[in-house]
Amino acid sequence: MSKNKDEKRKNNIFTRIIMKLLGNEKWQHLTIPIFLIFLSFVAASIIIIALGKNPLGAFYNLLQGAGILPKPSYAGYKSMLTDFLSLLNFMTPMIFASLAVAIALKGGLFNIGVSGQMLLAGFLATITIGYSGLNWILAKPLVLIIGLIAGGLLGGIIGLLKYKFNINEVVSSIMFNYIIQYVLSFFIHSYYIDPVSRQSKYINDAARLTLVNVELIGLKMDISIGFVIAIILAILLKVFLDKSRLGFEIKAVGANPKGAKYAGINVGKTMILTMVLSGVFAGLAGVTYFLGYFASIQPKVLPSVGFDGIAVALLGNTNPYGIIGASFIISIIDRGSTYMSSIAGVRKEIASVITGMILLFSACSAYIQHKIRANKDRLGYMAGKEAEE
Amino acid sequence: MYEYIVEMKNITKRFPGIVANDDITIQIKKGEIYAILGENGAGKSTLMSILFGMYEPDEGEIWIRGEKVKIQSPNHAAKLNIGMVHQHFKLVHNYTVAENIILGIEPIKKLAGFIPYVDIKGANKNIADLSKKYGLQVDPSQKIEDMNVSLQQRVEILKMLYREAEILIFDEPTALLTPQEIDYLLNIIQELRKAGKTIILITHKLEEIKRVADRCAILRKGQLIDVLDVKETSTKTMANLMVGREVSLEIEKKPPKFRDLVLEVDNLTVKNQDNFDVVKNVSFKIHGGEVFAIAGVSGNGQVEIADAIAGLTEISNGSIKLNGVDISNFSIRERTIEGISYIPEDRQAYGLILDFSLAENLALKDYYKDPFCEKGFLNKDVIDEYGNKLIEKYDIRSSLGIHTQVRQMSGGNQQKAIVAREIELDSPLMIFVQPTRGLDIGAIENIQKMIIEERDKGKAILLVSLELDEVMSVADTIGIIYNGEIQKIAPADTLTTKEVGEYMMGVTA
Repeated sequence: MSKNKDEKRKNNIFTRIIMKLLGNEKWQHLTIPIFLIFLSFVAASIIIIALGKNPLGAFYNLLQGAGILPKPSYAGYKSMLTDFLSLLNFMTPMIFASLAVAIALKGGLFNIGVSGQMLLAGFLATITIGYSGLNWILAKPLVLIIGLIAGGLLGGIIGLLKYKFNINEVVSSIMFNYIIQYVLSFFIHSYYIDPVSRQSKYINDAARLTLVNVELIGLKMDISIGFVIAIILAILLKVFLDKSRLGFEIKAVGANPKGAKYAGINVGKTMILTMVLSGVFAGLAGVTYFLGYFASIQPKVLPSVGFDGIAVALLGNTNPYGIIGASFIISIIDRGSTYMSSIAGVRKEIASVITGMILLFSACSAYIQHKIRANKDRLGYMAGKEAEE
Repeated sequence: MYEYIVEMKNITKRFPGIVANDDITIQIKKGEIYAILGENGAGKSTLMSILFGMYEPDEGEIWIRGEKVKIQSPNHAAKLNIGMVHQHFKLVHNYTVAENIILGIEPIKKLAGFIPYVDIKGANKNIADLSKKYGLQVDPSQKIEDMNVSLQQRVEILKMLYREAEILIFDEPTALLTPQEIDYLLNIIQELRKAGKTIILITHKLEEIKRVADRCAILRKGQLIDVLDVKETSTKTMANLMVGREVSLEIEKKPPKFRDLVLEVDNLTVKNQDNFDVVKNVSFKIHGGEVFAIAGVSGNGQVEIADAIAGLTEISNGSIKLNGVDISNFSIRERTIEGISYIPEDRQAYGLILDFSLAENLALKDYYKDPFCEKGFLNKDVIDEYGNKLIEKYDIRSSLGIHTQVRQMSGGNQQKAIVAREIELDSPLMIFVQPTRGLDIGAIENIQKMIIEERDKGKAILLVSLELDEVMSVADTIGIIYNGEIQKIAPADTLTTKEVGEYMMGVTA
């Protein structure tokens, strides 16, 4: 009886297509996430249809708004290129934040304090360099350096607390998030507030990591310097984790701390190092956010990108290249949403629904992989076997 | 009436790449103890998983009590009065004994006639009665996490009995037990038979089969080799059939040639987390060319001694000297460099990083050195080449060679990988803790041979083993530990098994 059922499933065209597309284990790390993103758009379509709108039109507008596809008309000095550049500008802190989360995860730690580290780095860079009036040649590198040192130090403290006193890094980083959020908001309110915007005063353009309103080929563009750095560092991080001795040790501690200790690795030191590195990337996320994408700090608010980074890192399978791709997709949905809502009449919040769907579905990737392997065993979908039949 | 309570006819089960069970037929009578013997990977567990409803066979039929059945799930198996004690227990650790036993079939009472609640008092009483009936002493209100392995196993057995199982499957029940606990368990199994239960015993330990089993099916590489009457068969014949070649149960060993002093442990004291002395003022010496075995019942401090020497545990008093150098304050890596190889008791938690590849695991103690690592970057080619060399030399089998994720390998090959890595370190001191635990006869023979070979090369060897037979046949000098204290140190040939056993129990002559 079950034989017949299997036979039926085997001939089912749907099963066939899925097995063909996802069956190759060599490409599964790419095909499965793409399949899942596709599924989430299908799910989102159902919701949009239920709202009485056209989902394909809405997705098209989403891409237009993000600068991937051309809009029918642009305002003065704007074009698809300017939209695309602002997409990259938006994406930069997200890449850094997700990389920060990913490094910690590789080392078996959960850095939920990326937001706090971002805020601290952004604040320190703002008050020291942002308001200093230094020449851009000095100011821009100094902003980066202060950002990475501030983030790295805070990350290191969290690692040290874990190593010395066995304080769970999740607890301590959440506590640090609160401390930083409120203490810094006190300082901003007391010394750096702009009475009109209710935010910290704008920083000097010389210190900003995004070149705003650059006039080129008749357009006014926002060019993110941080984006280039993010891509370079993502590649370097990949090489570091795959090839270097320290990367090997971080992964070993993450995969099995007892085994790593037995192998002679200094587990405590490695843990602190992991958190310092994670903090460095969080710090860079902070400066590209507060001194790049924005130019001021809103008091009492933690940047949500620090938390989004957790999801993006998981969607990217904690692989730096995967994270670049995942950041790109999530950014498109976010950036395109305003345009989508104004043209298609689909509410802006639907964008968050799509993002949520993607994250929800991507959490199932291990399940899908398992299911496909089971199906393969059961139905004999081996490359050779199918050809024989 | 039926002749056989369990009949599995022409069972075939294929997994990708292998045939786990190839046309196997076994017939089990009511009230007998039926052993299934085979090396790791012979297909014993698969066969029993089929009987317990965890797999469906590709071909073949199962008959229970003369009726053809199709067992689709463990629940279904339980309905047919089949129970199984798995090698790795399936208990909820922060639940009590009674809660674990009734889980899934909770006795429900109604408060004030309509509010249902679990009748834990009644369950406690029933379980206490049940445990008295079969001589399985447990406290129904004790939590699992506070119990040792042997007691947890009793809970698993009670769980089956509570579900009124008639056919009891034991999967490698003695793998984690001490000699005394094994004795106890085998007695229980015989008691259960007297109570009319049918018992299927999966094992690769011949003495146990000899002691309790009536008949024995021998599996090798997925095929049924023979079904034997245990009383009329020698252990030697069984071993040969199981392995498929002549095996020597005795290992050949030249008389030892002691060389210079390698390890000197002086007044070693180790505290556990509760600040309790688990090793008390232990002193001993090991020379090059000597196998020094620490014999003792599990949990008497022997693992802590090994951990302390290797640097995994801090010592609270005493000193450890390796080749005359005091290494008490060295880090783990410094000790490895100074000359210690360590095969730990728990190979999966400590000895390996299961998510890493075989090549990476084989280089786990060398990866930081030249030529494995140059200027802070690992040289993959060197690591792979080294891995291939060790795989060949030590016959480590895996599906994808050096790229295999170690988690996917069998326990025996995982152990081989650790032994290969540690022996290749070529350290003057080698610590083996339970090196043959859970391995089959062929692998045990191999590892014991390797230990002797290293001894003959002049290495000092510290062997910690719970298998008294292993201690007696491999060691040159035996130190017997009880309650954290060394009771006696003497050359192996001056001690009998009985004497060692007595010291192990703390009966000082």
